[in-house]
Amino acid sequence: MKKTMNPKSMTESGKIRTPFRLLLMVLLSALAAGLGYAVSTLSSQSPGSGEWVAANLETSGVSNPVTAVLLNFRSYDTLLEMGVLLVALLGVWSLGGIPEQRESSPGPVLDTLSRLLVPVLILVAGYLLWVGAHAPGGAFQAGSVLGAAGVLLLLAGWRLDARFAGLPLRITLTTGLGVFVVVGAVLMLVGRRLLEYPPSFAGALILLIEAAATLSIGMTLAALFLGSRPEAGPDR
Amino acid sequence: MAAIPWGVMAILLPLAGAMACFLSPRRASPLGLITALGVVACAAGLGWQVAEQGAQRYAIGGWGAPLGIDLYADGLSLLMLMVTAVVGLGISVYSSGYFNREKAVNFWPLWMFLWSALNALFLSADIFNLYVTLELLGLAAVALVALAGGADALTGAMRYLLVSLLGSLAYLLGVALLYHSFGCLDIALLAERMEPSPAVMAAMGLMSAGLLLKTALFPLHFWLPPAHASAPAPVSALLSALVVKASFYILLRLWLDVFPVTAAGLGQLLGLLGAAAVLWGGLQALRQTRLKMLIAYSTVAQLGYLFLAFPLGSNVAWQGALYLLLSHALAKAAMFMAAGNILCFGGHDRIADLDRVAQRLPLSLAAFGLAGVSIMGLPPSGGFIAKWLLLEAAMRSGQWWWVIILILGGLLAAAYVFKVIGYAFTQAVMTHEARAVPATMEWAALVLALVAILLGLVAPWPLALMEIGLPFGGEAAG
Repeated sequence: MKKTMNPKSMTESGKIRTPFRLLLMVLLSALAAGLGYAVSTLSSQSPGSGEWVAANLETSGVSNPVTAVLLNFRSYDTLLEMGVLLVALLGVWSLGGIPEQRESSPGPVLDTLSRLLVPVLILVAGYLLWVGAHAPGGAFQAGSVLGAAGVLLLLAGWRLDARFAGLPLRITLTTGLGVFVVVGAVLMLVGRRLLEYPPSFAGALILLIEAAATLSIGMTLAALFLGSRPEAGPDR
Repeated sequence: MAAIPWGVMAILLPLAGAMACFLSPRRASPLGLITALGVVACAAGLGWQVAEQGAQRYAIGGWGAPLGIDLYADGLSLLMLMVTAVVGLGISVYSSGYFNREKAVNFWPLWMFLWSALNALFLSADIFNLYVTLELLGLAAVALVALAGGADALTGAMRYLLVSLLGSLAYLLGVALLYHSFGCLDIALLAERMEPSPAVMAAMGLMSAGLLLKTALFPLHFWLPPAHASAPAPVSALLSALVVKASFYILLRLWLDVFPVTAAGLGQLLGLLGAAAVLWGGLQALRQTRLKMLIAYSTVAQLGYLFLAFPLGSNVAWQGALYLLLSHALAKAAMFMAAGNILCFGGHDRIADLDRVAQRLPLSLAAFGLAGVSIMGLPPSGGFIAKWLLLEAAMRSGQWWWVIILILGGLLAAAYVFKVIGYAFTQAVMTHEARAVPATMEWAALVLALVAILLGLVAPWPLALMEIGLPFGGEAAG
């Protein structure tokens, strides 16, 4: 529907609102100039919280400062972001989705390539997940690679079996957020604060959360690519 | 803080509820209702805690401010959380009767996520964390608007999504500028380190503009009526009652704590826009032929009152604005629910054809009328207390022109409420098959409207809660 509506409304507004557009251009240029000035006055030395991170890195359970911030110091943000990802998928699913077009067979090149690439992509995702503890990498990167593998499979015509498209799929999608919440809640039950890892377990807990998050992120991204809720078996 | 962290539970519980509803769609409705009761208990627990021990700060992960994220609950966040709990419970009860099974599967997880985002937003003390909660809130809200299906709802939802994203991004840009300038994200720390600079002014402009867009203050309100009117009734209720208030809450926090020095001329501007919103929203509401559009424009007008406190800036004015926010949340939720009942019963919401709703849906019409009392600001409702406080603040500061706006706004509100009630009593020929409305849906609307009235009778209690932690700064009100 969007495709058919957009060009029409655009030409209409183009005819009627030329002065308005000019005004908008002037205002936006002024805004850009103002922002540019504000940014140019910033000192190049930002106080940042880098030194705080560095000072506490040892007790965080990982040696990569980015992972330490994302999964320990500000893990609560990441927890909510996992929720955002799931909400995005729920939103897309609640739209009902586009009727799927059964395409012709993907052709030998795509077919063979996906067979070769998908195992490699899964391996790379595992590596990125593991390496995130002490070098650039982590759950979001690994999840994106996993999601890419899913997209490749979907392009090659593979579809999730109806047996797994119901509850098993939903469990996989919620694992990331679920494990995060459960870890946070269990820590509260044993008398600590929300997401206050004991330093000796911090590394293991972060890996657990990241592993679950990787799986969910990959699955969510692939499901977003598919667009509509996959048809499930009898259980729904 | 060794005691039970009720605030954290108010965030985690709806998250868990959302996942449970998603995993078990067949039991989504009962699971959602149980979660709603749990969240109300958490809000009550936090209320008791804050009332007994004063404002609470909770360091997530045990790291504390510059490194980690803090949650902070004072009187302001507590009242927001509590009104969300009351309205949320009402919406949950209403929705259990409203949606058919197919829609309920999609509604419950999204609504639980939205509730969690609201609670997280009201408790957050960190400006980046606030951005994350805004994102969660905005996405869930857009998806809920689209739930109605049909071209109107999808167009409304799409516009809402773009507006929501633009607002969030402007806010985020401001956050980046502030973080670069001061090296921290915690509101209290920012307030300590604040010193005016071009970057701070830019951040203030960006964040305020983004939040005003999301709050739908007068010239930026264009997206609100289509989105709020085309959504399913419980969603309209929660959007008008709660979601627009969330961005206003952030604006209030920033205004009161982070940017206090730079406020002078901008306060007057916000007041003027607020006054324009009161008049424009009221006039537009009067012109509408559809009940839900009328109520949506009434929201535009009521949001305007909130901004009248900015030029006044006194403790009493802030209390008045907050009181208006609380009573409007309850009354507007009740109004949209009543409209939903009428729509569900008659199959349309054309105001001119509201044939004898008074006899057919007496409870819903009573809910609409009582909510209208609070919207108009007649005693003994919560809306009356709010307007009284605002009047008092305006008189005290000598800015009498705001008084005229308050009175005109009240008259306009009376005009559009009575227009609806008048048509509801007229006799017309029954043109369609009437559908029965579940009793829960009628009672949910009526109870919320009654609470809005009750808010006027128990005024000293919320006013005392507002003082906890002195969110509005300065001395207690005389």
